[in-house]
Amino acid sequence: MKYRSELELVAVPLWNGKPLYQSYLIAKSDRDASRLSDLRGDIHAFSDPDSNSGYLVTVALVNENGFGRETFFKKTLFTYSHRNVIRAVASGLVQSGSVDGYVWEVMREIDPDLVARTKIVRKSEWFGFPPIATSKRFAQTDQIKALKRALLASSDTDAGRAMLDYLRLSGFAVADTSLFDLVSQKIESLRGVL
Amino acid sequence: MRLSHRFRQLSSTFRVPVMVMLLMATVSVVLSERVLNRLSQNQETYLQGLAGSYLDGVAASVSPSVLRRDNWEIYDALLRMKPQKASVLPRETVVTDANDIILASDKPEAHPTLELMDSAFRREFEGIHIRLDTDSELAFQIRPINHRGETIGKVYVVFDASSLLQQRRDVLLALLLTNGLLTMLLAAIGFLVVRRMVRPMQILESHLQTAASGGLEPISSEEFPKAGRDAKRIFAAFNRLVSAEKDRKELVDRLTKEERIASLGRVASGMAHEINNPLGGLLNAADTLRKHGHREQVRRESIELIRRGLLGIRDVVQAALATYRPERNSRALTPRDLSDISLLLRSELKSRLQELRISAPRSSDVFAGLPAGPMRQAIMNLVLNASKASPDSTEILLTVDRTEDAFCIHVQDQGLGLPEGANHILTAPINSMVPDVKSGLGLWVVRQIADELGATLSTQSNMPQGTIVTIAVPHRQSEVLDAAA
Repeated sequence: MKYRSELELVAVPLWNGKPLYQSYLIAKSDRDASRLSDLRGDIHAFSDPDSNSGYLVTVALVNENGFGRETFFKKTLFTYSHRNVIRAVASGLVQSGSVDGYVWEVMREIDPDLVARTKIVRKSEWFGFPPIATSKRFAQTDQIKALKRALLASSDTDAGRAMLDYLRLSGFAVADTSLFDLVSQKIESLRGVL
Repeated sequence: MRLSHRFRQLSSTFRVPVMVMLLMATVSVVLSERVLNRLSQNQETYLQGLAGSYLDGVAASVSPSVLRRDNWEIYDALLRMKPQKASVLPRETVVTDANDIILASDKPEAHPTLELMDSAFRREFEGIHIRLDTDSELAFQIRPINHRGETIGKVYVVFDASSLLQQRRDVLLALLLTNGLLTMLLAAIGFLVVRRMVRPMQILESHLQTAASGGLEPISSEEFPKAGRDAKRIFAAFNRLVSAEKDRKELVDRLTKEERIASLGRVASGMAHEINNPLGGLLNAADTLRKHGHREQVRRESIELIRRGLLGIRDVVQAALATYRPERNSRALTPRDLSDISLLLRSELKSRLQELRISAPRSSDVFAGLPAGPMRQAIMNLVLNASKASPDSTEILLTVDRTEDAFCIHVQDQGLGLPEGANHILTAPINSMVPDVKSGLGLWVVRQIADELGATLSTQSNMPQGTIVTIAVPHRQSEVLDAAA
């Protein structure tokens, strides 16, 4: 979102038929926690400071609930990967984490033992799925157009379906930038805080 | 004490293998202790090196993250660096800051992040060297993380040392089995070798025991061992000894017979003399009767003379019968036997104007248990020897008494002392010599009889009244002889 004015959408992945995903707050599966306030005093793992689902959503939520961003958690750390957030929570290194809902669900299929050691404390509202974008300068090039066509028609070919199956996506679609307005609002709400 | 005494009672066939086993067991213990000690040292050196390498790697790798207190990076590094294939694997690794606040652990649930390290866990790490705990089969080591000369954190590692300890157990088991088998093998070899070695001695012992019970037999050629020059030499020497002893025994038997014949001759001579004396009187009385038998006075006196002469002859004949009749050996000695001896030797003594004086209790009970035959023979020989040693016209004293322990007969002569040879025959500890004519066969026969009866002979100088020879038969011995009779 930081470079929104310089970028142009190519396609948006469809997950479960929709170009949407959520952010999950997760904790150890054996822990008695069902809301944000239960996570007070935790060591909390974020995935990346530039991630919406792995950082921004949780910081905004803490802020919206009137908790001090610096004091709500005992300590926060970045693992620079959604998968690592799951690993950190599952191992007990941290007590909770913020993770991309799409990654958590896919990981549940790929590495069920790891994910089974975590549980969802809270699911966020739906956000526009992180899209494939290009620099506006290259948007009208043949390569980008070819890429866009290939993505949009990926469900029509074997290679495309194999790719979609691998990524656990149902396809790609053209979307309007308004799909990401909620993300923009979150960033806006945190202006001056972050 | 009793055990060692019992051990000494065992035959060499068992004692030597047991000693071999004990020796081998001692060697095994010492050897095993040295091997295991050396193995332990090598393992600890190996463990120290392994742990050092691992800790160096971890410390270097996590040092920047410790500075930043980046728990995730430390955790991730610990997982990435954890060796999967090694004989000794780290079981737990904990990284703390300088104040033992846990930054990360590869087992976060056991060591919660940002908590103070458990003091019990901390106490397992003592000193700078690795500590191996054989009970838990774990090894513990700590390494500080330094940055620009300052300790910024610490790495605690717990290694699983079970494989090393299993190696020790395997080595110990191998040592025990090997040493045990070797011990048993050597003990068996020792048993066989010693049995082979002592076999000739057992044969010799068997023959010696047989000899002790009167059956002296040479070792047959079949019993000669096929090997062992020494054993053959000993057997040959034993056989020579047996041969010499048999020769000696034959000689002794022959001499004994000769002595008996000689003794019999002397007695027969004495008897003839004793019979001849009254015979002259009897013939005279017969002539007187023939010429003057019609006279009452002469007839009565002659008949009385004849009666006395015949009574004297009867006494001599009875004494001879008592001495030489076949059942004499099974009869107990009586005071009458002493009178017989006096009668039989009277002629021999009278020829030298000597007299035998007997001092003995009248009761037969005193002599209970003493066999008449051998005792008469022994007393007669001692008296004859005393007569020979004493000058003419002297007195030989025969005294019989009974002490608390033994029945004693003392024969005292009036001679100039017992010659050394004669004394040796009577009192030497072992009666092995064959007598010469000079020493006298009579005393040698006395010694033979005394040995057979279990009696002891002693001599006592009674100068200037000659020598006293005493034969003492223990009561116990005499009772046995009595019972046997």
